[in-house]
Amino acid sequence: MKKKSRVDILSKVDSFPSMPGAAVKMLSLLDNPETTVSQIEDILRYEPGLTANILKLTNSAYFGLPSKVGSVRHAVVLLGWRRLVQLVMASCVSAIMNKSVPGYDLPPGGLWRHSIAVSVASEGLIKELGLPSDDEVFTAALLHDLGKLILGNSIKDDIRTIEVAASEGVPFEVAEYMVLGTDHAEVGAKILESWSFPPKIVNAVRWHHEPDSAEESDIMLDIVHVANVLCLMIGVGVGREGLRYEPSRLSTKRLGLKTSHLEKVASRTIQWVNELTDVFGAQ
Amino acid sequence: MKIGQKGDIIVTHALGSCLGLMLYDPAAKVGGMLHAMLPLSKINMEKAQANPFMFVDTGVPELFKAIYSKGGQKARLVVKAAGCGAPLGNNEMFKIGERNYTVLKKLLWKNNVLLSSEDVAGTKSRTVHFNISTGQVIVSSNGVETEL
Repeated sequence: MKKKSRVDILSKVDSFPSMPGAAVKMLSLLDNPETTVSQIEDILRYEPGLTANILKLTNSAYFGLPSKVGSVRHAVVLLGWRRLVQLVMASCVSAIMNKSVPGYDLPPGGLWRHSIAVSVASEGLIKELGLPSDDEVFTAALLHDLGKLILGNSIKDDIRTIEVAASEGVPFEVAEYMVLGTDHAEVGAKILESWSFPPKIVNAVRWHHEPDSAEESDIMLDIVHVANVLCLMIGVGVGREGLRYEPSRLSTKRLGLKTSHLEKVASRTIQWVNELTDVFGAQ
Repeated sequence: MKIGQKGDIIVTHALGSCLGLMLYDPAAKVGGMLHAMLPLSKINMEKAQANPFMFVDTGVPELFKAIYSKGGQKARLVVKAAGCGAPLGNNEMFKIGERNYTVLKKLLWKNNVLLSSEDVAGTKSRTVHFNISTGQVIVSSNGVETEL
């Protein structure tokens, strides 16, 4: 393990862009059951661009609302405020995540499209499996590869060594760890910790490739793990590492997952992604 | 699915477990490519109605029909396949690529069509460039190009 690489890479977490103020304030509301619509309106009052974006997202075909939504209050009534917080997060990170990621050979927009895909596939799997809905899975899935934005530049120099390690049938994130002393999942989790994200989301991002290594099993983590592999398989955001990741048998067992669940969700994912990325593209 | 005639180059990106199927008639100079995601349309009939190319069982016949309608003839067709990859670990549930390939082989076998070449399976993500003037098919992965 390259200790110097690990230290160098993790030191970049501190200089990574901080989460926009509105998103931080919204995030603090997540843990407060007493949150009111007025509090959300107060935060968004001074963010006209963000508000416009949220309303566009709310009105996208993905959410299938019966009537046009014209105000934050109306959006909260129809979607619920927890869902609205997720949309604020998505709007805030879209600019950061829309960049190209050189080390992984992802073109501009590639990581963002993959992230949206894993979010909608995660929600699709939850629905298909009949699991209780969990608004936070959208954010955990959206941010699962955040660490690639930092690691992308670092792995460029070591990509050959990483690929040699991964060519022995070793999963790519393990090869990253062997060569760099860290991997994109750990770096992503560190960024989210520095943004004071809820531990459950940090945990899902940290172990999205290795759910068996997490301290405790967690359905949200299992879902993000499976949705990520599925989206790579159908070619959304598949980068230089291809399909060199290993789905966990324990995760699929815990979820009661069958091939038909995967295929049904896969058949709808691209349409969902297009519906949401169209909104972001129109910014 | 895309059909091309002389001078066209058809490209498809990021074939993970999806099937890329290329048909070419060198005499008529017509070719076509299918990028199918899933093996069987019964998983989502509504989707198959709207987009038969998403599934191998409905997309492959459509590709052949489209080539015939542009003057292609079965006896002259050169048929190549790429993609059908899988993640690591040999987990049955994630063998969508393998099932895509099996359904393709079954369809071709039933119709007495042979694959002239293929680059399938494994963990690679493949991009395919199909030159309709020459029939040349180039598969690239991580900057390495191979002719199929």
